[in-house]
Amino acid sequence: MTALRDLVRPWQRYSYGFLDESAKRAVRRGLLKAIAIPGCQISYASREMPMARGWGTGGLQVSLTLVEPESVVKVIDQGADDGVNAANIRSFIARASGARTTTDTLEATLIQSRHRIPEERLTRNQLLVLQVPDPEPLRAVVPDISVARIMHADADYGLMWLKLYEQLVQAGRVTQSSSYPSLVNGRHIMSPSPIPRWDTPKLHQAENLTLLSAGREKRLYAVPPWTDVKPLEFSDVAFKVEDQTGRVCERTGATGQFMNEMPLLDGTSTFELSDAGFAEKLARRRAGEAVTIGPTYYVDGELQP
Amino acid sequence: MAYVAARGGETAIKQAECLFREALGSITEERVCEIQRSLPYLVDRVMGEASLYAPDLAALALAQSGGELSEAVLLLRAYRTTQPRIAYAAPIALDRQLTVRRISAAFKDVPGGQVLGPTLDYSHRTLKTEVLAGQPFTPTPVTPAEKPSERAPPAVAGWLRDQGLVPPADDTEQDSGDIPDLTREPVLFPAPRAHTLQALARSDTGGTLALGYASMRGYGSVHPTVNEVRLCEADVMMPHPKGGHFNAGRVRVSEAEVVSRAQVDGKPILKLGFAATLGWNEVKTIAAATLDLAMNTAGAHPANETEFVLYHTEPIESAGFCLHFKLPHYVTFQSALDVFRGGGAAADEASPEEPPDVAPDDTPVLEEALP
Repeated sequence: MTALRDLVRPWQRYSYGFLDESAKRAVRRGLLKAIAIPGCQISYASREMPMARGWGTGGLQVSLTLVEPESVVKVIDQGADDGVNAANIRSFIARASGARTTTDTLEATLIQSRHRIPEERLTRNQLLVLQVPDPEPLRAVVPDISVARIMHADADYGLMWLKLYEQLVQAGRVTQSSSYPSLVNGRHIMSPSPIPRWDTPKLHQAENLTLLSAGREKRLYAVPPWTDVKPLEFSDVAFKVEDQTGRVCERTGATGQFMNEMPLLDGTSTFELSDAGFAEKLARRRAGEAVTIGPTYYVDGELQP
Repeated sequence: MAYVAARGGETAIKQAECLFREALGSITEERVCEIQRSLPYLVDRVMGEASLYAPDLAALALAQSGGELSEAVLLLRAYRTTQPRIAYAAPIALDRQLTVRRISAAFKDVPGGQVLGPTLDYSHRTLKTEVLAGQPFTPTPVTPAEKPSERAPPAVAGWLRDQGLVPPADDTEQDSGDIPDLTREPVLFPAPRAHTLQALARSDTGGTLALGYASMRGYGSVHPTVNEVRLCEADVMMPHPKGGHFNAGRVRVSEAEVVSRAQVDGKPILKLGFAATLGWNEVKTIAAATLDLAMNTAGAHPANETEFVLYHTEPIESAGFCLHFKLPHYVTFQSALDVFRGGGAAADEASPEEPPDVAPDDTPVLEEALP
């Protein structure tokens, strides 16, 4: 006689990847819709995670939905693999999925990041998941999401342009720093998450798929491969990335990449590469190890086509 | 110097957690039971904000978090979301439940009477300091009333409806499983009433009180009269596979109903504001019922906006976001510094054929640029 227990899978305290199957299905549906309408914010239930809201729970839900046992996972916070929260998220994904982890961008198949895109160029076999604190690029001009939703539907972006123009008039330059609003696929204005302006052009016509997820605000959006992502700029005032001229990484001697600035007692600063995985490889190569370093988006501070 | 592989953070976070847990010591079943027994109102508050009725789990969450309330609520919420939905209980009609406390401020007396029940409302708030000197405090035993109060006094709102003072209730039967569920779909605005009431039920006690109080104090248009406050032990009636319902146990439920004058088509009427939570959370339900009335009425105060109220009284979202500012923000700050310094060489690339009309003023720059 067949017992009931023969018909079901053995009981587990948590599902594979922590999230239950219905939660994963809801995230997948949201992601498919987000990919179909590049840059458009798709609402989703956003489950509570065993981590505080605002600490990467949105990115985590996407990563846990897509991770597989054979995935290779890299997690960075502000570019660093050893940031305390990156370490925490990485160990949770590894624990919930059994996937291997890495600090090498080239090796990773799934990269969850808070506010940086790696310097080495991502390829078609890689997924980038960006954590998003505030998905609404129009928040600064209209705090109510119900109103912003209607403005997106109407492509009513006049207030956003006005905001940038006012910055220009009042301060002599566009003062938007990170989270630079960008037009995706010629239709939706998107917040690329608080990545520096340096990273924004990396999304344009990228080979990889980028998924953006705001857990607290319950919104998903995506930049599919080979999609236009254009930072808002006036025809006579060009978009500018952060200036890295003259900055040399103290540990690796690298130049022309995004640097962390560290103040010194004498009033000057020292610099180090913000992309810690990249810096690690450069340092190892310097020490004589054979290390594969991929092509970078920027060479000597110049964006490569 | 050899480059140290990126692993420093892992040891640090592990040890930080060890420090916290070591200070709390072993968590035993006795400790959890003691919390449940001695702090029922704290357990109720956590269960209300977590929207999960499980006194033992709530007490465990309090034990694990050392009483850090937002941590305890997060623990319980994170557990709740992993649990499957097995069945939907029948709706609870509060005027048919075992009522231990039911008062109305709108009338001197009401059908069923004013039932004070267990409360500190009329106590003198003095510390029993003798306890600290080794003298236990033993409460005076209750003297049973000659005539016990009604088991389930009728709702005051029923009388108001009979009098035509408030519009009749919508009695449409709805399958419990069809009610929009805030925890399974995102709230969008205008929010369905089910979402509004669910969000208020699981809202942060302090946040709800702050906004409700602001509205009551005069920033809002609502001057509430407490029509009814009720604490119940409600029966959980579950559908039986063979039809009908069976009683699966009781949960503590609190409810508040406030009335305020309003106008419909130029005619004055009374409007009801309502809130209910799992656990006995009186102050939250009164504040929430007031917000239920205040939301979507004309007025410039934030308490008049459903979106403002529901977003900003979410306990784990607000606490989590506030705490996230402890995370490093040095990349965004670097980006802001770049703008503040004027963009260096990149500024030269710009083609300022016509410099801006207004003289650059440095004051607003950093403010705008800061993330």
